[in-house]
Amino acid sequence: MSFRIPIGPYHPALEEPYKLDLTCVGETVSDASMTVGFNFRGIEYLAERRNYMQGITLVERVCGICSNVHSLSFCQSVEQLSSLEVPERALYIRVILAELERLHSHFLWAGIAAKLIGFKTVFMACFTMREKVMDALSAISGNRVNYGMNRIGGVNRDITDPAAVLAILDSLENGIRNTINPIFIDDASVASRCKGVGVLTREYAQAMGAVGPLARASGVAQDIRKAAPYAVYSRFQFDVPVEEAGDVRARLIVHALEMIESCKILRQALSTMPEGPIHTPTPTAARMKVPAGTAVSRVEAPRGEVLYQITSDGTDVPKRVRVRTPTFMNMATVRFTVLGQELADSPLIQASCDPCYSCTDR
Amino acid sequence: MGTTTVDLASNFAALGLGDAWKWDKGSWWLDTGEDFDVRESAARLIALGARFVAITAMERDDNEIRLDYQWDLNGNLLSFITVTHERKMATILDLCPAVDWVERETYEYFAVDFTGRATLMPLMTRVGDEPGINLRKEAVQ
Repeated sequence: MSFRIPIGPYHPALEEPYKLDLTCVGETVSDASMTVGFNFRGIEYLAERRNYMQGITLVERVCGICSNVHSLSFCQSVEQLSSLEVPERALYIRVILAELERLHSHFLWAGIAAKLIGFKTVFMACFTMREKVMDALSAISGNRVNYGMNRIGGVNRDITDPAAVLAILDSLENGIRNTINPIFIDDASVASRCKGVGVLTREYAQAMGAVGPLARASGVAQDIRKAAPYAVYSRFQFDVPVEEAGDVRARLIVHALEMIESCKILRQALSTMPEGPIHTPTPTAARMKVPAGTAVSRVEAPRGEVLYQITSDGTDVPKRVRVRTPTFMNMATVRFTVLGQELADSPLIQASCDPCYSCTDR
Repeated sequence: MGTTTVDLASNFAALGLGDAWKWDKGSWWLDTGEDFDVRESAARLIALGARFVAITAMERDDNEIRLDYQWDLNGNLLSFITVTHERKMATILDLCPAVDWVERETYEYFAVDFTGRATLMPLMTRVGDEPGINLRKEAVQ
């Protein structure tokens, strides 16, 4: 006998709205369907009715966690259309913001994963460390989220005290190496809880177009920072952690190792950031006109590749703004990774793909 | 924007599309023309190991919709510029499951009917809502 179990849109495990209808035979999930769109705001439609300056502010509201990558990708597209060369220091600051954002997003994910695994002390440790990242972001930008740092042709604020950020980084890296990674990577209880749970095979990850840590935990070794470098990522030494198992444990390991790599990038960027201007002397007038054409920008967000395609007709309002977010590709895999799994594991499986419904729905 | 060094020329040849590709502002572009078979190109791209990225739709003056099919091949973004015929385009869902949500979303935003698939169930909107959100003509602010 089978039972249908509707979960959401007010979700008991993840505090974002979506609906997952599970059919179970006993405790085993035999079918699943998903409904999204509860956060749909028509961002693409709205962006095509506002000028480019308004567009930066708008797209930064696609997501409250990875807000920076949206304005970064938007600005990179407009800079290509306008043939603007962004000053070096601004490119370094963009990398620093992007990696701090990745850290706080991964800490958030790690905390939620720990809570769902049943390791609530790690949840507290992760959120304590995340606060330090938020403090650093706040010191740089004046904001804990929606930093307002990117502008067309550079950034709005300088990093005046890199040493202070490096000191925070020391503390964070110590916490990652000595608290989070030993539990996520080496702990036997966590391994037995997560091994073999919610497997996404490499073949299916590729077929579903999965991106980011989810795909890399399934053996798909692509990271836009390496494969198609933007800003100044090509100047930094870092590895792209890849695991083959495709299960929840592999996702834990990839996220944990990626935090170490972010620290590596941050150290290099903060130590070698050149002096100079932080933006081009381009017009900042709200009604700046952008040459006609189409440009595409891809950025490796914490959850994977973000794509912005912008078409200009030569006016001050874009003709088309396309936003493809990582969770839009990743979330559809959950319908398949929960099949054959225990009902009690489904919240962890859903959380392990690091979903963001704000991004998905736009 | 950099790209990895791969033998794109041989990949383009394998796609049967010769030298018509052009790199511009973040992507390789191919204006495919009327005889282009979106399903055949999808099958060839999948055989080459390409990853489906997106379909970007845009309204044209002739009441048709431009559809840019975007794939990643070893870090290179390939964009195939196609145009609907009477607002219709063949689905590639049976070849590429990743396209499911993208085709449904494109239907909702631009009222493009992807032929050959069983349903185009709404993704962001609800059953009964009028498709074509991005075709509305309210004034620009």
